[in-house]
Amino acid sequence: MAHAMTVPESGHAPRPRKAPMPPVLRAFLWAAIGFLLLNTFVIAVDPFRGHPFVTGPSVVFGWVGAAIGWLLGIGLYDAVLLPLMGFPTRWQERQQGWRRYWEFATDHKVIGLQYMMFAVGGFLIAGGIAMLMRYELMTPYLTIFHYPSNYLTAVGIHGTLMMFSFATVFMIGGLGNYFVPLMIGARETVLSKLSGIGVWLVPVGILTVLFSPLLGEWSTGWRGYEPLAGQDANGILFYYLGVLALTMSSLIVALNLVATVMFRRAPGLTWGRLPLFVWGQVTVNLLMLIWFPEIQTTFVMALLDKVVPLNFFTATGSPLTYLMLFWLFGHPEVYIIAVPAFAIWNEIIPVMAQKSLFGRQWAVIGLVFVMMLSGLVWAHHMFTNLRNSEILPFSFFTEMISIPTGFAYMSAIGTLWKSKVRLNTPMLWILMSMFNFLIGGLTGVFLADPIVNLQLHDTFWVVGHFHYTIIGSMVFSGFGAIYYWLPKLSGRTFNETWGKTLAIITFLAFNLTFSQFFLLGLHGMNRWVPAYPAYLQPMNFEVSIFAFILGAAFLGNILYIGYCWRNGAQAGENPWGAKTPEWFTSSPAPRYNFPVQPEIVGSLYLYGEGTKVPVVTTALGELAATSRATQDPQFDWHDYAPDGGGVTS
Amino acid sequence: MSKVPNEPPIESPEPQQPEWSRRQFLVGTAAIGVAGAVTLFGRQSLVNAARSVFGSPVSSGTVHLYAYDYYYIPNYMTWRVGDRMEVIFQNQSHTHWHEWTMGRHVNEAYFQAFGNLPADAWQEDFWDGVPVTLSDPYGIDNFVPNQAIVTYVGPKAAYNIQSGGDFSPTLKPGGSLHLSFTVPNKPGLWDFGCFVQQYIHYRTGMRGQVMILPA
Amino acid sequence: MGENVVFAVLWVVFSVLGEIGDRVIIRHNPMYYIVSNQGQLALQAFNFLLVVLTPVFVFVVLFLVFTMVRFTTKRGEMPPANKRFAIDNKAFVLVWVGGSIALNLLFFLHPTTSAMEQMFALDQPAANTHDLVVDVTARQWQWIFSYPQYGLTQTLTPNGQNLLELPVNVPVKFVLRSYDPYHTYDQYADVIHSFWVPAFGIKEDVIPGETRYEYLTPTAITSYAVNPMVRVQCAEVCGPGHPWMESPLAVVSDQQFAQWVKAQKALANG
Repeated sequence: MAHAMTVPESGHAPRPRKAPMPPVLRAFLWAAIGFLLLNTFVIAVDPFRGHPFVTGPSVVFGWVGAAIGWLLGIGLYDAVLLPLMGFPTRWQERQQGWRRYWEFATDHKVIGLQYMMFAVGGFLIAGGIAMLMRYELMTPYLTIFHYPSNYLTAVGIHGTLMMFSFATVFMIGGLGNYFVPLMIGARETVLSKLSGIGVWLVPVGILTVLFSPLLGEWSTGWRGYEPLAGQDANGILFYYLGVLALTMSSLIVALNLVATVMFRRAPGLTWGRLPLFVWGQVTVNLLMLIWFPEIQTTFVMALLDKVVPLNFFTATGSPLTYLMLFWLFGHPEVYIIAVPAFAIWNEIIPVMAQKSLFGRQWAVIGLVFVMMLSGLVWAHHMFTNLRNSEILPFSFFTEMISIPTGFAYMSAIGTLWKSKVRLNTPMLWILMSMFNFLIGGLTGVFLADPIVNLQLHDTFWVVGHFHYTIIGSMVFSGFGAIYYWLPKLSGRTFNETWGKTLAIITFLAFNLTFSQFFLLGLHGMNRWVPAYPAYLQPMNFEVSIFAFILGAAFLGNILYIGYCWRNGAQAGENPWGAKTPEWFTSSPAPRYNFPVQPEIVGSLYLYGEGTKVPVVTTALGELAATSRATQDPQFDWHDYAPDGGGVTS
Repeated sequence: MSKVPNEPPIESPEPQQPEWSRRQFLVGTAAIGVAGAVTLFGRQSLVNAARSVFGSPVSSGTVHLYAYDYYYIPNYMTWRVGDRMEVIFQNQSHTHWHEWTMGRHVNEAYFQAFGNLPADAWQEDFWDGVPVTLSDPYGIDNFVPNQAIVTYVGPKAAYNIQSGGDFSPTLKPGGSLHLSFTVPNKPGLWDFGCFVQQYIHYRTGMRGQVMILPA
Repeated sequence: MGENVVFAVLWVVFSVLGEIGDRVIIRHNPMYYIVSNQGQLALQAFNFLLVVLTPVFVFVVLFLVFTMVRFTTKRGEMPPANKRFAIDNKAFVLVWVGGSIALNLLFFLHPTTSAMEQMFALDQPAANTHDLVVDVTARQWQWIFSYPQYGLTQTLTPNGQNLLELPVNVPVKFVLRSYDPYHTYDQYADVIHSFWVPAFGIKEDVIPGETRYEYLTPTAITSYAVNPMVRVQCAEVCGPGHPWMESPLAVVSDQQFAQWVKAQKALANG
């Protein structure tokens, strides 16, 4: 390392030390120790002798021990625990090199990339499982899965990992952590240490869910729903625990980002000027703060239902309660995934068109109203088992939520109208995302209609619908965002021909795969079946072929982005001519983002004649002279008001 | 703290620490990955390999065979021709009927069918021509002797003897039955399973194997 | 102004083409095979939504294509910067917001509420005439059908499979329960199933401990052999046996139904 050597603060004479164990390996080791300690303890105090070494209750406690061991091993022991207890620590945050991504970090950019890295890992694992499922469905009888329980477990792991370790994580934990502070001109996040801890819960969750079959098959899909879960083997425990870890991680992201947006906006960045991407993040973070504790409580209750056992949700308890509680969270979750995508559309379109964003306030109102309405629609997942009197109100709100969703389209269309937009790779992904989500949305109108829903519910129509909304919005916009921000993330850029070719292949494969799901659903293909009547086989076979191409296309994009990250051509500092603050620093940004505190002096989305550069980065001296921190020794950042620095515009 | 809130903390240069090893990291994580893949996908192969190398202990005398909701314990047994056996077959399910049939060559293609299912079972029934003594019936739903030579202990009514299909004692939830027999000279690998509810129990994995060793 | 006119003309042209396409789809039955009055309600609602949503779909897709064709710069060129841009257009916003509200209110009134009213009316005394009552019991993993009006407790095929047979054009009241007749009611009692006949166009979940009703009238003589959508299929995942929790179904004439009832009685008694 190129840094100068200094004497550590502890005062001990530096002596040559053995190279430490790689933190990830130490984390695995300590996790194993933690598991054995707590598991053995539970078995030792078990009053009923003769159980196997790992039982349901013991594995729950053992898992807690493993999670604690994992977090301590990854670096919390040195970075958090020792200082907390008042012991000297040798921990210093690494400032450069690939190693910092594989240990505890507090830099939001490192954390953001860690989130993206783990999310992509989850995507590849869950995507690989999807390929196995499609292989199975090529024939109407069981082939690679010997029993339906294996297949159902695969379905459950696929859905759980896609939702909780990728869809919720990539855009919010990943892009959100990386770009929200940059886009509001902040130099670090408020809860940076907590955030650094939270990201390491993602691999805990992924591995827990992935290895759930070690404890036995579970058949409930990603809902983990009762009363069926009550019959499942202990594998369902790892579903609850893994999702608990993943949602806890996302909850920490939400806390940190909301706090950062509230307290760390650059001078002049009023709420009225907040970038759209940040608005998207704030709305979904609020949704997460509201609904994640709810679903975590539900999972804890379901866990207790299983290991104690209690009878909250069983057939003799209240068999619909779990579904209610699950969808109460489950529908906001869908918007947690989709809303950042809507925000991305209107973030990228004005930049690529160099044209002022149309109806900015409507785009923001749309995001906020989607957020508020999303808590009122959950029971449309339950039209087939709801009381008749409750169907119409939920149908009403479900249909109405398409209105604020449409505002994202309205802004995008207004901006693009009579523009001269650069139709490059990010823009192409955004247009494709708008097309896909349109199909997802319109097929949702059919599902929102109860009489149609009673036929289409639990069929492949629904599967096609939610893959269009989630992949269509989140994954396509995510690729658009990554291509858009690649110069910022890596300082390098990509080749347009390659980027567009890959985008078009992905788009075609995606549409050819999932559009046929609607036909399968109409033709009587129900969900969660590895075996089905033979008349459905030809179309399923065809769908599988396109699905394999789609899988390869996603993999190709990920590999190509990775290649460009290291070997792409050098990009300029602001290659797209954007006005948001993240482009007003070097690429990639230095440790504290901006060499001096930037100041926002104008709208970030106005282009054309008479508009000015909205970000000014020379105000440091002036700011420091007037800042309370230099005048008041008692100053605490809690009192800090970003607009109170006397800088207005 | 004497800094502007959006200011970075005072940076202290990093002390020179020995780096953790890149090779250890790569080899270690790869090894953990391989171990994980083996535990996920390779358990049955490991078990089979171990069985083919070391064999498995021969059971004789009294053996318990438990039927649960949709599996047997044990699901693999080794018998030896000529041994005297007493199998205590017990249905541990709270809710479901379970039976114990044993044979070879089942036409799996039939089981994948929808609509009207053909009533098919083992092509070769293990119990054909085998003398077997049944005793201690409790909670018997029905019993089909097929071609077996059966001796009933106690009143026959308790067995609810019926015809059609393979040799199959079917037990109600909580039922049990003792089957005493001498292992016939039919060496090789035999399958057993439960065909209750249109074979769904079998199709969902309620099956096992018996390896019969020559005397 | 030029773009507005071109776009409007194209929108009308493609919407008309789309509507013609919809007629073709509707003639060929987008739900493939529907043989019940309930299913007809769903099918009509589906067709209505299809027809109304087509111009919306055409509008957005045409816009996306239009953007790619008309509103783009040449590759590598920057967009021209010397312009002032509208960031608001009250007429457009009004039409968009008002239009989407109107469209959704329309959908809520018709087909949502209108179709649900027709469905709810089927359990009103006027329509609910108890012509045929079928008790449907769902358990892992089989459907058990009994006909209390005929004294049949479980109807079976000769192979011992459960069988549902219905007379054509007779209103049926299905009584859906998941109570398992074979065991005492304990915490391991059954799970949620969903009673679905794809060709009837409706499904209703079967909840442990609750009784649900479904009313419909089969409208054609048919069976699994005629169309595989004529089958009873569990639609809610209910454990490993879920894919095979299905049962053949036949809709027959009144005379055949009477004969079948006789045969089932003979089978049960003998």
